[in-house]
Parts: sequence; structure tokens; C-alpha cells
Amino acid sequence: MSSVAQQEPTSASTQFLSDIIGKPVNVKLHSGMLYVGTLESIDGFMNIALSSATEHYENKNNGLINTYNSDVFLRGTQVMYISEV
Amino acid sequence: MSNTPLDLLKLNLDERVYVKLRGARSITGTLQAFDSHCNIVLSDCTETKYSLVDGILQSEERESEMLFVRGDSVTLITTPEDE
Repeated sequence: MSSVAQQEPTSASTQFLSDIIGKPVNVKLHSGMLYVGTLESIDGFMNIALSSATEHYENKNNGLINTYNSDVFLRGTQVMYISEV
Repeated sequence: MSNTPLDLLKLNLDERVYVKLRGARSITGTLQAFDSHCNIVLSDCTETKYSLVDGILQSEERESEMLFVRGDSVTLITTPEDE
């Protein structure tokens, strides 16, 4: 019984996460930092690897803080949300 | 597509990394080891702490030979842009 109850919601959310691999995404952290880049990979802890990422505060319109030329690893526990751009 | 983000971190072992921490701190060092909690061992590191003094951004640096960083304060890991 627990397998059915647990599988239903996880399949939809993991499906979303695997569908957006390789696409441009927004990742917001609890600190308010927003990272925009191409999603290289993501795991069940919401650890995230982005390529060609840019860093902003809260909103992309608030200006560019940093540009990362190499892959950026974001720690899952710090992630608030991830969305496709 | 079996490469998880932590697998990709392995590519940075023995390389210089820039680690962003909570509380306006960052550390640049050579990545010796890490685990799934993001506990990290760095060598030849520079810790930078940023602070606002009367609205002016200031930074303070200190050097360490070897550091163990507890995973819960880590927010971001990447390659340093300049060194």
C-alpha cells in the first residue's frame, strides 16, 4: 500500500525533473539568490549542476551579479525551487 | 544521463574550487575530498568574509593550509573565475 501511495506523487515530480534536463532553468535558493543556466543534471536531493550560469538576486531584472563559465554545483538543501525559463 | 551533480563534482577533485557558503563567506582552495552531505576538505585555502560597514562593502581574508568544511553551510561549488 505504501508503495502505491508514495509512487504516485514522486513519479510526476521526478518526471518533471528529468524532462527539464538540458533546458534553460531558473533555480532560487533560500538565500534569495537566483541562478539561471542550462540544467546539466539533478538528483533526488535536488542537488543541481548548471552550465553557463548567471547569478542574480531575487529577480533577473535586478542585474547580473556573476557569470560562471564552468559548471556550477548547487546544494540540494539550499534550493527553494527550480523552473524552466 | 546517469551523471548526478555529485558525480560531476568528482571532476573537480585535486582542482581549485570556489565554494560559496552561507553568511556572505566564500572559500577558494584545492578540493581534496567531499561526500554526499557536501562536507568538503580543501587545501591551500583562502576564506573571504564580506560585510557592509556603513553601507560600504568590505572583505576580509584569511589563509589556511587545510580546512574541513561542514556540508550544511555550503551553497554553491564551482571553478574559480580568476587566480
